[in-house]
Amino acid sequence: MEKIKGRVWKLKDNVNTDEIYPGKYLPIIDPPEMAKHALEGIDKEFPNKIKKGDIIVAGFNFGCGSSREQAATSLKYAGVACVVAKSFSRIFFRNAINQGLAVVESKEVFDLIKDNEEIIINYKTGEIEIKDKKISFPPLPDFLMSILEEGGLIPHVRKSLGIRS
Amino acid sequence: MKIPKKDELLKLQSQYKTDKRIAEAIGVPTYLVTYWRRKKRIEKYSLPKYSEKVIRDLWETYGNDEEAGEEISISKAAFYKWRRKYGILEKPKVLKLAQLELQLPKSGTKVIKGGSQTIAQKILAIKAKKMEADVGEIVEVEPDLVMSHDNAGLVIRQFRQIGKEKVWDPNKIVIPLDHRAPAESEKTAEAHKSIREFVKDQNIKNFYDIKEGVCHEVVVDKGHILPGELALGTDSHTTSYGCVAALSTGIGATEMAAVWATGKIWLKVPDSIKITIKGKRPSGLYAKDIILHIIGKLTSEGASYKSVEFYGETVDSMSLSERFTLCNLSMEMGAKFGLVPFDKTTRKFLNALKKKKYIPVWADENATYENEYEFDVTKLTPQIACPHSVDNVKTVEELNGKRIDQVVLGSCTNGRLDDLEIAARILKGERIHPEVRMLVLPCSKDIFLEAMKKGIIKIFLQAGCVVLNPGCGPCLGAHQGILAKGERCLATTNRNFRGRMGSTESEVYLASPATAAASAIRGEITDPREFAKKIWS
Repeated sequence: MEKIKGRVWKLKDNVNTDEIYPGKYLPIIDPPEMAKHALEGIDKEFPNKIKKGDIIVAGFNFGCGSSREQAATSLKYAGVACVVAKSFSRIFFRNAINQGLAVVESKEVFDLIKDNEEIIINYKTGEIEIKDKKISFPPLPDFLMSILEEGGLIPHVRKSLGIRS
Repeated sequence: MKIPKKDELLKLQSQYKTDKRIAEAIGVPTYLVTYWRRKKRIEKYSLPKYSEKVIRDLWETYGNDEEAGEEISISKAAFYKWRRKYGILEKPKVLKLAQLELQLPKSGTKVIKGGSQTIAQKILAIKAKKMEADVGEIVEVEPDLVMSHDNAGLVIRQFRQIGKEKVWDPNKIVIPLDHRAPAESEKTAEAHKSIREFVKDQNIKNFYDIKEGVCHEVVVDKGHILPGELALGTDSHTTSYGCVAALSTGIGATEMAAVWATGKIWLKVPDSIKITIKGKRPSGLYAKDIILHIIGKLTSEGASYKSVEFYGETVDSMSLSERFTLCNLSMEMGAKFGLVPFDKTTRKFLNALKKKKYIPVWADENATYENEYEFDVTKLTPQIACPHSVDNVKTVEELNGKRIDQVVLGSCTNGRLDDLEIAARILKGERIHPEVRMLVLPCSKDIFLEAMKKGIIKIFLQAGCVVLNPGCGPCLGAHQGILAKGERCLATTNRNFRGRMGSTESEVYLASPATAAASAIRGEITDPREFAKKIWS
């Protein structure tokens, strides 16, 4: 997952967990089924419109509200490759990494990009390419990077406990 | 003059103790009371006896006459007398810390003159078994308590994927079912079933089935969390446990599964914010109004990733239930922890639960805060959070007259006895507006029972409310009161995001129980001070 290249979907500030994944779908436990409701609170058609590898670029406080990790899981299984936001709510940020969904905090990207344009994110070096511009962001600490690279917290814990599949 | 019956005299004795005091209270000579008492064969009042062991133990635990005395409901002076009687005059070997296997941070747990650590820093240092914890540092810690509700179903699923057979410590896991209780769908029924099987299988004793109440209330009210402890919950409003001066915060289900498997979690030591609330509260103004006002000023990310410590005379005078509301809603400004430092009120609450073994942690004298805010509530008026974010706060006056379709009184934020009492005082003898539905959900079974005893539930029913079983249902739009397109609800809950209670074209307003009751009667958003006489009486 060194480089992520994708088309951008722009969202506002304070996108909350009820918008990303409405509470009525919480009893669903199958991730592909969760994906059918991703961002339903903002746009019911979102899961149909999104293509695998797309990138969400949002404003401040992305994922605020509930601790429901289905917010991160549904985005990941809907095909979102990465969420770039000016800032994240604490629980969403943890959930995303634990689900293996890449997250980048950058205050600059939002104003430099329009819907449907393409960006390239170099996750390891902490650089984002937007047209001819390059923006840097602080990469994740190593231990979080390893959780993400191993595909989320479950494979990571399995590995650390020495449990083989 | 009427001679009191035996049971009446006993009641007087339990209230006034001695014959002399009883006589003074009912306005007769002392000899008359003594005569009645003898005739009815009632023993003379005598002080309950405390053994040397009881007094010594209390002295060793508290090292303070006032606190030790409070434990057995006697005064500071009386405790000292008992102590002198047994010749316990030396300083106690204060707090057997070693027994609790704590490694204390450099600054200890008490307020240290010139020290600079906040409560979050100190508790995280203790949990990480370090001498100090710097802001921004990442520590690995073992929580004292972990809580999951209906989403334990998902946690179990993730736990099974990890592949570990047994949870790290079944005694540290608490699971109350509340979000969809009783099950509203087959999917939920399956989840509940899997949870019931799992707790049996794993020997998790602290499982509360659908009858008990809202998770956070159950955790605090059953004494599962104590001062100075660290708790994690698969619910964002886990910040509530700050009302007993504990550090507590929300995490996701997968992360909880990892904690169940390993007993460990990484946490970043957060910056802290100090919020001082001062001034005497005017009538009709509640903790809910105050915290909504603060959220409005600080915004929904004003405390993001931060630990919020509440101080000030207004906070000092708040009940545990009101402090619960403050810490619960700290989450709505993004806080990682929200807490009210340990004091007399916390101690009294825990004494009543017979919880004694804990070590409160206070911030140091020069604790470093990223930001300090001060709020004066003297002139504050009732507040309301408007759609579709909790920081969109206005005064109730500004919205006076806005029609509503539904009122929800309840939730972990405002479903406790004092909340129900305030609403009942306003609703007594009234009927709610014919075009309004009012749903009441006491926060727990115990609160429900207490409310029944006090006649509060009857008032609700007579006023035309629908009283539901304790749970979270409508707050998160799970069931029990979903809103249709275009409908407007005033709730005492904690979130008003678009679509939270049903249709994405409905609206939710958040306010205090008093505002909720007043508005239900009028059928429109109403300033509760219009019912001032009832609030005061």
